[in-house]
Amino acid sequence: MRKLPFEGIRVIDLTSVYAMPYAGAVMGDFGAEVIKIEGPGRTDMIRGGGVGGAAFPDMDPGEDPWNRVSTFNQLNRSKRSITLDLSKDEGRDVLRQLVSVSDVVLENYTPRVMRSWGMDYPNIVKLKPDIIFASNTGYGHGGGPYSLWPAQATTQEATHGLCWVTGYNKGIPSKAGASYVDFLACWSALFAIICALRHRNKTGKGQWIDVGMYQLGAYGVSEYILDYAVNGRIGERIGNRHPWRAPQGCYPCFGEDNWCVMSVGNDEEWTALCNEIGRPDLAIDASYANNERRMALHDTIDVIISEWTRTLNKTEVMERLQRVGVPAGIVADARDSNVSPHYWARGFLEKVEFPEGRGMGNRVMMGQPWKFSKTSIEIPRPASKLGEDNAYILQELLGQSENTIEQLQKDGIISDRPSSPVKPVNPSLEEQVRLGKLAYYDSDYKKGLGI
Amino acid sequence: MQASASLDDLRVLDISQGIAGPLCAKILGDFGAHVIKVEPPEGEVARRMPPFYHDEPHHEKSLVHLLLNTNKKGVTLKIDTDAGSGLFRELVKQSDIIVESFPPGYLESLGLGYSSLEKINPEIILTSITGFGQTGPYSGYKGEEIVAYAMGMIMSISGTTDGEPLKHGGFQSQYEGGISGAMATAAAALMRDFTGEGQHVDVSIQEVVNWTLVHSFSTFSWNGGVVGRRNPEGTMFGNVMPCKDGYFITQLGQGTTWDKLVDFYGKEELREERFADPGQRLANGPELDSILVDAAKDRSVKELFSNASKERILVGMVQTPKDLSECPQLESRNFYQEVEHPVVGKIRLPYTMFNMSETPAQYQMPAPLLGQHTTEIFHQLLGRSENDIVSLKEQGVI
Repeated sequence: MRKLPFEGIRVIDLTSVYAMPYAGAVMGDFGAEVIKIEGPGRTDMIRGGGVGGAAFPDMDPGEDPWNRVSTFNQLNRSKRSITLDLSKDEGRDVLRQLVSVSDVVLENYTPRVMRSWGMDYPNIVKLKPDIIFASNTGYGHGGGPYSLWPAQATTQEATHGLCWVTGYNKGIPSKAGASYVDFLACWSALFAIICALRHRNKTGKGQWIDVGMYQLGAYGVSEYILDYAVNGRIGERIGNRHPWRAPQGCYPCFGEDNWCVMSVGNDEEWTALCNEIGRPDLAIDASYANNERRMALHDTIDVIISEWTRTLNKTEVMERLQRVGVPAGIVADARDSNVSPHYWARGFLEKVEFPEGRGMGNRVMMGQPWKFSKTSIEIPRPASKLGEDNAYILQELLGQSENTIEQLQKDGIISDRPSSPVKPVNPSLEEQVRLGKLAYYDSDYKKGLGI
Repeated sequence: MQASASLDDLRVLDISQGIAGPLCAKILGDFGAHVIKVEPPEGEVARRMPPFYHDEPHHEKSLVHLLLNTNKKGVTLKIDTDAGSGLFRELVKQSDIIVESFPPGYLESLGLGYSSLEKINPEIILTSITGFGQTGPYSGYKGEEIVAYAMGMIMSISGTTDGEPLKHGGFQSQYEGGISGAMATAAAALMRDFTGEGQHVDVSIQEVVNWTLVHSFSTFSWNGGVVGRRNPEGTMFGNVMPCKDGYFITQLGQGTTWDKLVDFYGKEELREERFADPGQRLANGPELDSILVDAAKDRSVKELFSNASKERILVGMVQTPKDLSECPQLESRNFYQEVEHPVVGKIRLPYTMFNMSETPAQYQMPAPLLGQHTTEIFHQLLGRSENDIVSLKEQGVI
């Protein structure tokens, strides 16, 4: 068995929501021992309600809903769990002991929190001089005017410029997707941690990694920033069109709410499209003879393409166009993705088996969006239950006595349940469709997934 | 004092084109790797991508090219000729990483696939960043930005139900592919430090996009629910909303309670029972929206953003590229790097992505002119004489 990239590395994960928990999960998939720390009174908000919303397995919140929600389990697989009340010195004392036997600390508090606990980098590095300490905040540390302000990806999408350039053609600015910048932060933090590990291996030195989501989001609109800086243009919203390829768009297919996109960027692709939709006359019509002319007649072309796509199902449109060399793809929804033959063939998706007593069964999770040819990276196990590893960590890792552990339990420093559990929000699927939270649901999903 | 670099023991051959691959290689270069950009004699496609400096189409003036190829040296080489692929193999012997973005199978057709390169240099890491990856039934499909967004699931939840599914603006899937590709490449390098063996890293942009759908993807496997686009009415809370002079987004979270939010917007009717919990707010969305829009109609976007943030209430302000280029927060993070380029002169580029205390990104050089370092690299690295180089140029190989 080839060595995994993070084998032998221990990670303290103090983070919540999306970006850094996901980075911790990848580190777990990479072979690290990842210990997620949550306060009994301050559990990861993703465990219930929260920004992402919660889906319970087969609609059953069970006795311990905080351990069962979908998003939390995707983001925290491959981790151990300990609860520690870090607002109390006894809790921070355990954290200090854990840091001294660890390699990496992940945190995403606003800058003042770790400082007020005396757990910021300058203090942590005294406990473990070669620690790699990775912070992720909305705006990054330092003396900037926004550095101490709270942020989440949903509001940052506006501030980092993505909303300005996203939206229907000539429409108002818009959000798209979900928590976009969190993932840029996740990958960046992981990249930086790998660089820091290499540096530590060479020099014995640790370091502080300071990721600010805002600037990563702004990086993704770099060409617009530059176009303003040198050409004075402030960018515009063009919906699903392309700045220089035409035609490009999202076209309605047979049935209800089925769509296929396509993008034509040169005369060869245009000819192929015209022939495939049964309009070879357009391919030789001079009014459509180049990209520029097609751009000017985009609306007319869209009507012609839609007449054809409406008669076919979306997969057929994609397959026929790709066969003749036109970039095209279905608008895949969650069901399409979960059952995608391409994903399953590539091993992008994995069925993760939960221990029997948890009543979770098998669930499909996304593994890694890339493959190594010689090292197989697989999700080693589902997330531990909240506080499940309290005893292991305190006894076996830190050598605490049973008496101490009992005392910590009595004082509410550790626990195996949240001190004030959030009441599960669990409207029926019909109700969620009525409210617009879901487009539809598939009652046979387990059969389709083989779980 | 020159800071340390974590990747300065690595030589990278960047034969990729466009955005994702070149960004991946650039990030490696930012942290010290010695990157050689290998282009065909006519230059790679990004050199022909608008926008251009002063709107002048020219192969040294594409802004995307200038952005994504700093910290690289540049050579031209026709790898699809016998002599060219021979020289490329010689470069591979002396390199650690190759970044490429050709359609799967293309390098194999030149005898430069991973299994051939591995024989020349068992330590070589080959990173391929493509639309659908190297394997699976769609691997031969043509990718495009909108195709990645459609097949990567994100369009199915973007936009409103009265319109079509909507892609993000710009080339987000390409940036995502480049950053996650750099991470996977660095992980392969870390493993090679232990094993002495390279491997093929296969990045799928479709999967990179889909990987971000943690909520809507997982919901299906948990209860069969399929999240769609939002309703056009009554869903402004948590989405874009108009104010006096622009647009903003407001939401709960990070300790912002509903009461605190109501205090901030100063509309007492928001304390009524019909807005008391998320379910009720959703059900009474149209009323909620009209109250919030009314509360914001006389307030400027900057005022909303800074006053809310100071009170630890989550508000985002829709900023334009102009706002970003003048932003004091980005200044404080040294986001911009001034670059002196031989053709366009001084230009300020978005540069710093994140900070590292010991091994930060370090700016070395602007994007290479087409073939700028051809003579230097083939002379110094491969020991070719000036005569050899002249004759290769005459044959059109370099």
